[in-house]
Amino acid sequence: MTDSSKTVNTFTPTVEAIETSRRNFLKFGASGAAAVTLSGVLPGMAAQALAQPAVIDAHTPKAGERRIRLTVNGVAQELNVATNAILLDVLRDRLQLTGTKKGCDHGQCGACTLLVNGVAINSCLSIAVQHDGDAITTIEGLAQNGTLHPVQEAFWEHDAYQCGYCTSGQIMSAVAILQDPAIGRDDASVREAMSGNICRCGAYKNILAAVQSARGKMARVG
Amino acid sequence: MSEQLIGTAMRRIDGRQKVTGAAKYAADHPLPGMLYAYGVYSTVASGKIVRIDDQAAKAMPGVVTVLHHGNLPTLHRTPNAPLNVKEILHASRVDEHRLPFEDDGVYYPGQFVALVVANTFEQARAAAHKVKVEYQAKDAVRSLAQGLKTKGARDGGRGHKRGDPNAEVGTQRIDVTYTTPVEVHNPMEMHATTAWWEDGRLYVYESSQGVLNHRNLLANVFDLPPERVEVRAPFIGSGFGSKLWPWPHAIAACAAAKVTGKPVQLVLPRAQMFTTVGHRPDTIQRMRMATDANGKLVSIRHESFNSTSTLDPYTEACGVVTKNLYSCPNVLVSHSIAAVNRGTPTSMRAPGAAPGLFALESAIDEMALAVGMDPLKFRQLNLSTTDESVQLPWSSNHLPEAINTAAERFGWHQRDPRVGAMREGDELIGYGMGACNWDAFQVPAEARVTLRSDGSALVQCAVQDVGTGTYTIVAQTVAQLTGLPVDKIEVELGSSAFPPGPVSGGSWVTSSIMPALAGATRQALERLRGYAVAASGPFADGDVQALTIEGGALVNGEQRVSFADVLKSQKLARAEGRFQSGMPVNPTHSFRSFGAHFVEVRWDPGISRLRVARVVSAIDVGKVVNPLAGRNQVEGAIVMGLGMALFEAGEFDPRSGLPANNNYAEYVVPVHADMPEIEVILLDYPDYNLNEFGARGMGEIGVTGLAAAVANAVYHATGKRIRSLPITKEKLMA
Ligand code: FES
Ligand code: FES
Repeated sequence: MTDSSKTVNTFTPTVEAIETSRRNFLKFGASGAAAVTLSGVLPGMAAQALAQPAVIDAHTPKAGERRIRLTVNGVAQELNVATNAILLDVLRDRLQLTGTKKGCDHGQCGACTLLVNGVAINSCLSIAVQHDGDAITTIEGLAQNGTLHPVQEAFWEHDAYQCGYCTSGQIMSAVAILQDPAIGRDDASVREAMSGNICRCGAYKNILAAVQSARGKMARVG
Repeated sequence: MSEQLIGTAMRRIDGRQKVTGAAKYAADHPLPGMLYAYGVYSTVASGKIVRIDDQAAKAMPGVVTVLHHGNLPTLHRTPNAPLNVKEILHASRVDEHRLPFEDDGVYYPGQFVALVVANTFEQARAAAHKVKVEYQAKDAVRSLAQGLKTKGARDGGRGHKRGDPNAEVGTQRIDVTYTTPVEVHNPMEMHATTAWWEDGRLYVYESSQGVLNHRNLLANVFDLPPERVEVRAPFIGSGFGSKLWPWPHAIAACAAAKVTGKPVQLVLPRAQMFTTVGHRPDTIQRMRMATDANGKLVSIRHESFNSTSTLDPYTEACGVVTKNLYSCPNVLVSHSIAAVNRGTPTSMRAPGAAPGLFALESAIDEMALAVGMDPLKFRQLNLSTTDESVQLPWSSNHLPEAINTAAERFGWHQRDPRVGAMREGDELIGYGMGACNWDAFQVPAEARVTLRSDGSALVQCAVQDVGTGTYTIVAQTVAQLTGLPVDKIEVELGSSAFPPGPVSGGSWVTSSIMPALAGATRQALERLRGYAVAASGPFADGDVQALTIEGGALVNGEQRVSFADVLKSQKLARAEGRFQSGMPVNPTHSFRSFGAHFVEVRWDPGISRLRVARVVSAIDVGKVVNPLAGRNQVEGAIVMGLGMALFEAGEFDPRSGLPANNNYAEYVVPVHADMPEIEVILLDYPDYNLNEFGARGMGEIGVTGLAAAVANAVYHATGKRIRSLPITKEKLMA
């Protein structure tokens, strides 16, 4: 439970958009401009994406399944998923990436927010097989070699949570918003843009403070 | 003792886990071979199950079993005893006593009627939709009003009477009725269970505010010695009361794990968070008040009615604050309940006080207007100086100062008392205030503190951190008493295998565990001193009493030996202390926490937009152990209070009694965009009558009184007195 390590903000964006993912931008309704800008925030994936994928399932897909390849937090994975499987459930149940949370399963709360090719989406609304070839960043992929992302660091410093259950989603949305030139820098714009992420604990004041303070740190680094 | 850590704003020791996704909640344990369970829930509000056809479901790929009342092995109920806080470490409570699948009856909509268990979540969910349930529907009691009319009201207890409340005294009187709707806790984390059996033992990860109570309950249900059950909740996606006492899903998941012999995970869908895990019931509260010619209260009658389920009696004790917040010789408080076909209600953040203070603090405002006084002055004139309901002095009550401090920060003196007289642009501005109030308790708790030869300390207690910062407060307390740095304190909470701790509720965790931690730490230090003066110890044959504690070391004059070196000198790994603290016996004081909210609302009549622009609150909760986490608690409670004031209402179809808005889009809770400016002032007067640290607890108080402050401000802006929550624009336009 203890953690006293001081974290220095050495966050460096490393990635360009990944070729195979382009075709999905339109499919999921995100604007190309936003996606290109946002891709700068995806931590270290391009290099690993080209490496041999980790094969989760060796066997050929069964009836009702499809074989897909996902690059998750820079690691390529190949697995068979049911055609009705949801991206959120595949990440949590199959890849054991339980940092992304389920708060409603209906796109109403934002707890499941993650980045697909740099675009923030509600992963509970996304069918997994539609993401074949996509690059996904979850909360587990933000810190680099133990160094927290500036948004993570700011959430910790500002006590921008209580129970922590909405936190992954809040952080992923904040990362996307801070990179999105279409979203204003003032408090009202940030509040508006973050309104898809419910915090039932009501830590909104501290979340806003964290997002605004991370903005400064990300700007200095970038 | 060295550095003052208690009272210091400190970021949380579990923060890294929370911001990296490493914190593990109840459904974050994908175990090898784990099965997934998905419920089938009743689609009628009242009736009987005639037939369950699970053939199609069973034929679906991956389906392992379908459980229902016809095939579930026998389970046992837990004793139906009211909560006794003295015995809280032995509690095995539920609010809904009926076991899942106990019979073929349907008592409320959304009741578990079957459970599908399959190899994957997708398979379980798909198969659950194929289970066909045939009901014989009965006419349901669909609303509180209907329940009162058809079945009548029952006494809900917790009343109070003094003087002659029925006498027609006073010169100014009001007689008004307030209503509050069903509210749903809706913690972000849906209730979830991951359960498995191993060698006749049951292991459970549960989203629980009380692992010990949960363990004791499961032991009763499955007829096991409690030692053979372990319940863990290292992290909880909050609960606000809905996770205090176990609900049917938790038992159903453990039963499914037993039947299948495999680990089983069950996550409630959000829709069922509205039906089968409790809610705050709706209330009707008649409030009669009278003052003398000088504006002094002479009579208060607060009669409250709330809905409960047909299965269990539940009282929302709305009048508990009415009996003692204000000085008044003639007081009546009563609670009545009426059964409707809904799931059993349960405690929701500040149960009783939250809806009760909406009525009381609205009525106080109406009374002040009736006598022509400023609402602030009217309160100051009438505040109690002792607890007149039990005739004891307040342990520590700084409400007058809270009101004045917050009023000054808020700018109350700029308030033009005339309705609708303040405006800016298109917006009418209203200022309103309301007092807030909540209990202060200390309940039994036990902790173990182990000083270790690697220079660290391990602290364990079966209490939970539900998001309030308990992990950090524990570390601060032990660090302060030992002088060890906070990062050398390892804290383990949320397992029933640890020394017993209370449920996380009632705002009593901090005030209850700090004395237990202090006792355990002192006992460990006593042991260590004993080792230090032993024949081969570093202070051999020295005076034990002369050894002081400084910065993780024992010190006598010039000589200073770290805890670790004392242990090593004796070739020991650890010095352990374990201590159980109790609760105040024959208290000579009445313990409560106090505060005041000041609210600015803005109403734009042109576009019918109501918003809360500003909240300033001053809170007197005794010593604040960690102001960073503490202020966050009050701010969060204010946010929930805003939801209560403006948005939240669980709705039910008047024809069928089925929930009508059981999702996060239609049951509206505050989001980022709804946020006003919030300023919280923590008065920080230690209450040493309660415990040696003077801490009272602060999780709930902030939600009380806020809705009334909003309603009072709305009246000031618009001249419309809204006596039924939530305050929607429809009500303002009516
Ligand atoms: S779980 Fe996806 S938005 Fe709520
Ligand atoms: S921290 Fe609990 S929901 Fe946001």
